[in-house]
Amino acid sequence: MINLQNVTFTYENADTASGLSDVSLCIPDGQAILLCGESGCGKTTLTRLINGLIPHYYAGKLSGEVLVQGEAVSNLALHQLAQTVGSVFQNPRSQFFNVDTTSELAFACENMGLPPAEIRERIQNTAQAIHLHALLDRDIFALSGGQKQKIACGSVSTLEPLIYVLDEPSSNLDHASIRDLRAMIAHWKAQGRTVVIAEHRLHYLYGIVDRVCYLQDGRLTHDMAADDFFSLSAEARQRMGLRTLSIEALLEQGVPSPTLPGLAPYRLDRFDFAYPHCPKALNIPLLHLPAESIVAITGLNGAGKTTFARCLCGLEKRCAGVICRDGTCQRCRDRNRSCFMVMQDINHQLFTESVLDEVLLSMDQEDVPAAEQILDSLDLLMVKDAHPMSLSGGQKQRVAIATAIASNRTLIVLDEPTSGLDYRHMQQVASLLQSLAKKGRTLLVITHDPELIVSCCTHVMPMEGGRATDPYPLDKAGLARMLSFFTAIGT
Amino acid sequence: MGFAAFSSNHQSLYRLDPRTKILLTVLVGIVMMGGSIHGPSAIPRALLALAPFGLLLAERKYRQGLLYLFVLLLSVGVESYLVTRTQGALNLILVIVSSLFTRFVPGLMMGYYLVSTTRISELIAALEKMHMPRQIVIPFAVMMRFFPTVIEENNAVREAMRMRGLHLSGGNVSAYLEYMLIPMMMCTVKIGEELSAAALTRGLGRPGARTSLCDIKLRGLDALLITISLLAFALWIVL
Repeated sequence: MINLQNVTFTYENADTASGLSDVSLCIPDGQAILLCGESGCGKTTLTRLINGLIPHYYAGKLSGEVLVQGEAVSNLALHQLAQTVGSVFQNPRSQFFNVDTTSELAFACENMGLPPAEIRERIQNTAQAIHLHALLDRDIFALSGGQKQKIACGSVSTLEPLIYVLDEPSSNLDHASIRDLRAMIAHWKAQGRTVVIAEHRLHYLYGIVDRVCYLQDGRLTHDMAADDFFSLSAEARQRMGLRTLSIEALLEQGVPSPTLPGLAPYRLDRFDFAYPHCPKALNIPLLHLPAESIVAITGLNGAGKTTFARCLCGLEKRCAGVICRDGTCQRCRDRNRSCFMVMQDINHQLFTESVLDEVLLSMDQEDVPAAEQILDSLDLLMVKDAHPMSLSGGQKQRVAIATAIASNRTLIVLDEPTSGLDYRHMQQVASLLQSLAKKGRTLLVITHDPELIVSCCTHVMPMEGGRATDPYPLDKAGLARMLSFFTAIGT
Repeated sequence: MGFAAFSSNHQSLYRLDPRTKILLTVLVGIVMMGGSIHGPSAIPRALLALAPFGLLLAERKYRQGLLYLFVLLLSVGVESYLVTRTQGALNLILVIVSSLFTRFVPGLMMGYYLVSTTRISELIAALEKMHMPRQIVIPFAVMMRFFPTVIEENNAVREAMRMRGLHLSGGNVSAYLEYMLIPMMMCTVKIGEELSAAALTRGLGRPGARTSLCDIKLRGLDALLITISLLAFALWIVL
C-alpha cells in the first residue's frame, strides 16, 4: 500500500520540474494506477516520491508524509526501498548501468547480495515471463529503444518488487514496442503487484489500469475509475490537455480534407543504402514526394525511416540517390544546402549562447531583423537572449525548427518531433508544421504518433524493410488506412 | 562503435581474469616508458611489447592486432635505423615521433585490450576481489560505462553540426570546438544524472557485500602470463 498524506513539494531549483501541492492519495496493493496531466503537472514528481528519489536524490522542500508498505519513505535509504519499489524511466539510453544485457538483468540482484545461483534462476524466470531470451547476452548499445526499455523492465523485474513505478515509459517507443510494454504491465498486474504509471500516451493503457488520477498544476484534481475515464468525450479530454484515449477515436475525429496544391512533385531516384556487413537498409528505386506538403513517414523500428532521412539530407555520403524537381537535380553532397533534419534529441543541436545567435548561425548572411522575424513567428522573441539550453523542451524544439527556417532550405525532415509531448504541445508542433508548409516548405515527419498525423499531415508514406511507395493522401480512405496500421499491432 | 564490441558475447578462445589484464597493462605501460631498444634491456621490452599483439589475436581482433604490429615495427625500425642516418629537422621529427610511438602505443593498445574485452560487471567483481575500496570501484565502473556513451553523443553532435553547415574548414578551430563541446557536456551531464538516479533505485550504494554472476578466478593461463610478465619486469629492472 502506498499512502500520501497532504504532500507538498517544491524543487530546490524550480526551473527543472514542477512540484506538488497538498496531494493525498492512497493506492491499495495490486492496483494499477495511471497518473496523467499536461507537461509540468507534477506526475513525474509523484513517481519520484514513491521510489524515494525525492527526498533522497532530488533536493527540495517536502512536507506531509509518504508511506510505502507502512514505512515513511524519508526514513528508508534508497537501497532499502529498491527491494520494494522498482522504477522504469523515460529515457531508454540513460537507465542501464552495464553494457551487456545479462549483466544488467543481474545488476540489481547483485547489488542486493543475492547468491549467484539464485540470480541465474531469476534471470531465467524473468526472461521466460516477458520473452527476453532473444535479448540475453547482447550489447545494450546496439539495441533499439524498445528493446532497451524491455531490458529496463526486465532488470527491475528480477528483483521482484511489490511496487512498479513507471515514468513515461512509452515516450521513445514505436507501437510494436508499446504492445510489449503493455504485456509487461499486464504480467506484473497478474502477479498481484501494484503498478503506478505516469504517461502522456494513454490509449495503450485501456483495459489494463484500474484507476486514473489527473493532476493539474501540482494538484490532484480528478480521481476516477478507469471505465469512467476512458469513456470521456473527445472534447473533455482535449480540454484537459490529454492525448487520445483510443486510436479508433481518431477515425471519428476525421481530417480536414487536404487541399493539394497540385505542384510538380520531387522525384527521388535510386535511394539505396546498406550499412557495412548488413543487408540493404534502404531500397527505393523511384519515389515521388509531393511538394509543399506534410508527409508522415510511418513504420516500425528498423523499417529504414531514419536511414531514408539521412540519405535524403546528405548525411550518408555513400548513398547514390538523386533528387530532381523543375529540371534541377541534386546529388548527395549538394543536398546539405537544400535539406535539413531536425533530429530527435534536440540537445545535440543547439550550440550557441543565445537563441538569436543560434538562428544567425544558420544564415548565409547574418541578418538580425530577419532572424527576429523568424523568432517572432515561432513565439520565441521574448527569449531571444536566453541560453538555448535553459529553455523548456518545447521551446528548444522550436529553436531547432527556427534554425531550419533560417537556413533557407526547402526540404525539412523532423525525426519524432512529438515524442513525450502532451496534447497542447503536440498541437503547437502541428500548427507550426502547417504554417511552414503554407510558406512553401516541404516537410517530412518521421513519427509513431497517429494523433499528430491526423492533426497536420497531408500525406502518409509507410515504410517496411527499407522499401517505400509513393505517399498516399490523407483523405477519408487514407485516414482509415493509416490508422489500421497503428491498430493492427497496437492493441 | 569501436567500444561496443566489448560488451557483446564475443567468441574468445579463453577468458583471462581482469586482474591479469590490469597487471599486464600496468607492466607494459611502465616498461615501455624506460630503457633502450639496444642492449640487454631490449629483451624484456620486446617481450612485453608483443603482449598486446598476441592478446588481440587471441581475441580474434586480427585487424587491430596486425595494425598494432605494423606501427610498432615501423617505429622501432625508424628509431634504430633512420634516426642515425638523418640530420636536421627531419631527424628531430623522426626522433620525437618514433620514440613517442614505441613508448606509448604498446600501453595504449593494452588499455584498449582491457576495456574492449572486459565486461563492466567483471571489472567490478575483480576490483572487489582485490579489496579496492568502493570509492575507487564505482567511479572506475562509471568511467567504463561512459566511454561508449561519450562516443555515441559525440557522433550525434558532429552530425547535427554537419546539418547546420558548421565545418572545421572555416578555420576557426576554437569556435568549432566550442560548438562541439557545449552540447556534448550538456548531454553527458544529463545522462550522468539520470544514470545515477536509475542505478540508485536499483540498489547501487547498498553497504555490505555485493555478489556477482561473473566467475572471476585466476586460472593456469593467468598464472603463466603473470609469471612471464613479472619475470620480464624483474629482468628489465636488473638490467
